Amino acid sequence: MLETLTRTQNSLLASYSSPFVLLSALVINIWLVSAGVSGGILRLVFLGAAVPIGFFFGRLIYLKRSHVEIAFDEKEFRVKKGNRETLGGNWKNYKIVSIRLDQFGRPDLRLYKSADGDFVDIPISRTNADPQKFREHVQGLLSGRVATPSLQLVEAS
Amino acid sequence: MLPKDVSDSIVDSLERDLIGGRARWIADLNEFFRDYNRTNTNFNLYARGRTRNRGLFLSRFFAWTALPDYSVSLFLISDNSLMSAERMRRNLESVSIAIRDDELQWAWLIVLCTRELPAHVVSFVSRYDRREIGLAVASTASGQLVYSQNQLGRSIVKHLGLRKLLEKMNAGNTN
Repeated sequence: MLETLTRTQNSLLASYSSPFVLLSALVINIWLVSAGVSGGILRLVFLGAAVPIGFFFGRLIYLKRSHVEIAFDEKEFRVKKGNRETLGGNWKNYKIVSIRLDQFGRPDLRLYKSADGDFVDIPISRTNADPQKFREHVQGLLSGRVATPSLQLVEAS
Repeated sequence: MLPKDVSDSIVDSLERDLIGGRARWIADLNEFFRDYNRTNTNFNLYARGRTRNRGLFLSRFFAWTALPDYSVSLFLISDNSLMSAERMRRNLESVSIAIRDDELQWAWLIVLCTRELPAHVVSFVSRYDRREIGLAVASTASGQLVYSQNQLGRSIVKHLGLRKLLEKMNAGNTN
């Protein structure tokens, strides 16, 4: 059974949601004006509803396009971004594993087929995995050693 | 097996610090390997990167205009056996080969030893003066740290914070 590493990327979710929050606030405001509600607590309560409505639509788009899930077991791994599977493979096809910092300094996992040969990057910085523990786990899988219990791979968040 | 655990913790902490950008004033190390075999030597930690660091906007522009773009590496060996000058020479030879093969401008070599440092090793390291290798040897048993008196050797203490790490580990304050 595949285990899954994932985390909601709040900054991305907020950037998807904010236009919908503004848009729904605008629509609610127009509706309130046309209904003759021009002030008071009721207006604030109705306008406040723009936040959950905006985040609902933002989350739909975030899940469809950008949410990263890494599923793995002792044999294989799969990386899903939104609805698409962007990467997958068997651990046994790779020989070396490293932690590689991306251009923003976020630690991802890099798997090499040979020393300085072809490689793939697994975006673990978008999940709640501890990079060092996950690399140790993967290194154990690549070398055929007994891997550490995977429940300990996840950082306390 | 307490000393072994201590050196593992030091390697973990040092790597965590480097991932967090600890060495950025000297080098932008951006890839980290553990138990990496090269030139018949097993390096417990091998990190590589460049002297020109990342950054956003102004710092990137500054790095691009002012900093040289050299390849550099850090090698760390954790050794449980009694350290000798001959063993140090072999380790240095492995790093020299890596420097040549990877066309590195310079490299750090840190050796963690779980036993006391013999006097001849202390003397060897403190007299080491090759410019392109910064060398440091530390004993996790006594907390003693010796480093080469070149600029790179001194930067191991100043910028990598190895002494503080050793003190912290020996005081048992690590998390």
